[in-house]
Amino acid sequence: MSVLTGVRRRESAENAATRGEAPPGQSRRSRWVINLIMGLIGIWFLLPLAWLLDAAFNPNAGPGLASPQLSVTNFIGAFHTGAGRDIANSLYLAIVSTLVTTAVSLLAGYSLSRRHVPFKGAVLVAVLFLTGLPVTMLLVPIYEMYVAFNWLNSPFWTSLVLASTSVPFAIWLLKNFIDQVPREFEEAAAIEGSGELRTLWRVVIPLALPGVLVSAILTFINAWGAFLIPLVLDSNPGQTPAAVGIYQFLDANAQVQYGPLAAYSILFSIPVLVLYLISSRWLQGGFAFAGGIKG
Amino acid sequence: MAKIVLEGVTKRFKGTTAVDDLDLEVEDGEFLVIVGPSGCGKTTTLRMLAGFDTPTSGSVMIGGKRVNAMPPKDRNLAMVFQNYALFPHMTVAKNLSFGMKIRHEPRATIESEIARIADMLGIEPLLGRKPSQLSGGERQRVALGRALLRKPQAFLLDEPLSNLDAALRTQMRTELQRIHRQFPVTTIYVTHDQVEAMTMADRVALMDKGRLQQIAAPQAMYEEPASAFVAGFIGSPKINLIPGRLRKTGSSVAVSCLSCDIPVNGSAGEVLRNGSADELLVGFRPEEIRPTVVDAADLPVVTGTVEVIEPLGPETHVVVRVGEETLTCKFPARAGLSVGGSIRLELDVAQMKLFDARTGDRIR
Amino acid sequence: MTARTASRPADRARLKPTTVVWLLPAAVLLAVLFLVPVGYAIYLGFTNLELLGPFAQNFSFTGLANLDRMVHDPVFWLSVRLTLIFVIGSGIVAQTVLGLALALLGQRANVTVRTSVGAIVILAWVLPEIAVAFIWYTFAQAGGTLSYLIGHPTTNLLTSAPLLIVCVANAWRGTAFSMLVLSAGLRNVPAEVDEAAQLEGASYWRRLLRVTLPIMRPTIMTNMLLITLGTISDFTLIFVMTQGGPGNATAILPVYMYIEAFQFNALGYGTAIALTIVLIGALLSIVYIRQLRPELAKAKEAE
Repeated sequence: MSVLTGVRRRESAENAATRGEAPPGQSRRSRWVINLIMGLIGIWFLLPLAWLLDAAFNPNAGPGLASPQLSVTNFIGAFHTGAGRDIANSLYLAIVSTLVTTAVSLLAGYSLSRRHVPFKGAVLVAVLFLTGLPVTMLLVPIYEMYVAFNWLNSPFWTSLVLASTSVPFAIWLLKNFIDQVPREFEEAAAIEGSGELRTLWRVVIPLALPGVLVSAILTFINAWGAFLIPLVLDSNPGQTPAAVGIYQFLDANAQVQYGPLAAYSILFSIPVLVLYLISSRWLQGGFAFAGGIKG
Repeated sequence: MAKIVLEGVTKRFKGTTAVDDLDLEVEDGEFLVIVGPSGCGKTTTLRMLAGFDTPTSGSVMIGGKRVNAMPPKDRNLAMVFQNYALFPHMTVAKNLSFGMKIRHEPRATIESEIARIADMLGIEPLLGRKPSQLSGGERQRVALGRALLRKPQAFLLDEPLSNLDAALRTQMRTELQRIHRQFPVTTIYVTHDQVEAMTMADRVALMDKGRLQQIAAPQAMYEEPASAFVAGFIGSPKINLIPGRLRKTGSSVAVSCLSCDIPVNGSAGEVLRNGSADELLVGFRPEEIRPTVVDAADLPVVTGTVEVIEPLGPETHVVVRVGEETLTCKFPARAGLSVGGSIRLELDVAQMKLFDARTGDRIR
Repeated sequence: MTARTASRPADRARLKPTTVVWLLPAAVLLAVLFLVPVGYAIYLGFTNLELLGPFAQNFSFTGLANLDRMVHDPVFWLSVRLTLIFVIGSGIVAQTVLGLALALLGQRANVTVRTSVGAIVILAWVLPEIAVAFIWYTFAQAGGTLSYLIGHPTTNLLTSAPLLIVCVANAWRGTAFSMLVLSAGLRNVPAEVDEAAQLEGASYWRRLLRVTLPIMRPTIMTNMLLITLGTISDFTLIFVMTQGGPGNATAILPVYMYIEAFQFNALGYGTAIALTIVLIGALLSIVYIRQLRPELAKAKEAE
């Protein structure tokens, strides 16, 4: 009971701030200082981003901030160095690994949530443990395996590695989401004659959709930004995802092409930003999760 | 439509026995109500019929086939859940057509069937809405409609009225009976409310602690309860059960309670005389205790103090303290009583029930 | 309703064939592309496998040779030191402190300030790592904005203070996560306790240190654990910015591992280094979990 009233009361301090008043027990001057400090921190975060935006539209961009211009020369330049192709490669990697991860993890997560699985407790602990394993460990053995099977330089097989490293977290996330769906609906569907797959597809997934989408989006963002794994497994020119492409572009010339690189970076970042905006509503609840508190 | 048989069905969960050696036969087309207090095993029984739980031992037979291992989706049953379990993300129409689509019925049939059911249950205006937009009563009718559309071997209903308010409940009770008359499908109805059991059932099966206590037609169960538990569960207000002692004097037998000695004749008397029962429970239903002014010679009369008066309109319930016991009595309205006043009651011995206080079995 | 369904005891435990089928894809994928490589890595770490040359095909088990080489490799120990500085400095200290500061400030700041600063901080976090690497690479260059800010426009900070710069860049990138987690944790601290302390005359800092933070301990610990695990294997940022240099000034373990394995040919040795990363991560995790144990036990009891 005290937690409830506590939360309510704390919110009123924030609410007061929202209404533009000083929260109880705080002078106007201290509030001004708080806003100032926070603003300064904000500016520190903003500066590099400001440069990126500035440089992308400046045909003569250098490493420093310059007066803002509005030219798309850099964007065209970025495409000439292969940005379009590389971003398409990133799209392929991200989509394939997201589809594989989500499909595979849904089936496994549902089974771990609803069905009897021998040693389920141990399996769940193992899955949780795998989510914390650094990917660097897998690099050399997978490289060797891929050499042996001749799977190097294949976008498909590279995306499978990305998928497999995303699966443990996805299983954990989806299992927890499906746990929240009342079983009654599956029982009603069973009475109506629905088989297990149909029930999963038509009843469970729609009801667990926020969780499924969060998992898919997180997997996508992770695969989109993947660098080390494609660097090692698939660095054929023309096949690289944009993350590797930007790196190669950065390294390519003695004179760094700030403008086109800035434009390239922005192009590469936009899809992720959009996805984050879409899913931010669902992710907010997840941060209480990560803090180990019942959100 | 099918006959349902449970043979020696037992269900044990970790540490508890939910259903204990249940034998039950439900005739084709019969409306059976399984009733009992919380935890008596009625819901578990229903779930075993549906296939959500597997019996630990015994057989479940539907339509002559042993279905213990058969998954719910193959049993051709229909179920109305306590919370209706309407798919929240689908419209009412989609909820109703869910099962028919699985059976690959042609679109025209689906549409005409939905129209028919919607008309019958009065839910036409709701077809495009989602369950969250419906009231409790409306959701219940949609759940009912979904079940009726299946044309199943049997209907299973799990406390379908418990989430409705009192007025709606009475209305739905009548409606369910009407539907059953129209579609006489074998129906198994689970509830904890004995009023629902009495008013709707062809037969009532009363369960307690996993065991079947009695199965009989409602009136028979009321008049001839098999045990003190049954007598106490069925009938509202509850039957008065007064502790009594057996008195054997020579060749006659009497039960002593409420400072009276009530002679017990006939076969019951024989049983008591030859048996070892000593402590008894004497049962009088509230309507079997009447106020009296003139003492009738053959009926025992007790004197007590009025404690509580509950006027209900057509009748009045009065709680009277007699010695150490309290008796609940059903009097005609306007009995002209006042709390604290003294009252003389005569006990209708002809209807008196006698139970063995130790085993609960009925002796008379 | 949900409680009733959830509290029903589970039916008889029996493994259905469909369960096996549904678990199979995940099991196969994880086995082939995760578990087998893990096992293989543990083996390869003790071999003399190389990227090219005679030992690429005909490599052999060399026992503790790699371990021996590691122990005597000054760059390795430098790398371990650098990694710890990187993880603790930019991860635990910088991100947690900055995240906490932003969470605390945000509670009392003007709503416009809070929302806009929050958005910018989160934007820094959402950007792909390669973009962050490029931005900060530029930021620290001679002629870049940072060099102007500190008044030395001709200094390439990336060569003169590389470790500091990458730490700052990583903190810039990662603070949002801590900010969000700690904000949520802060909201769950009952205000009553804080108000009781106020009545006792405790100052803001004392309340913060003695009341608020101790209550938030499990949140802070979990946050640190997640940051540690994430940072210890971080590759892209540093590799793109400095390739581990100049010299070995920023060669944290993942970067060192890559260089040894794929640039200096020594795949076996590189794997051994990777195994060390896992080991360090595991040790640190144990430390955190030990710290969290009383809270975990309490949570289990409450269930």
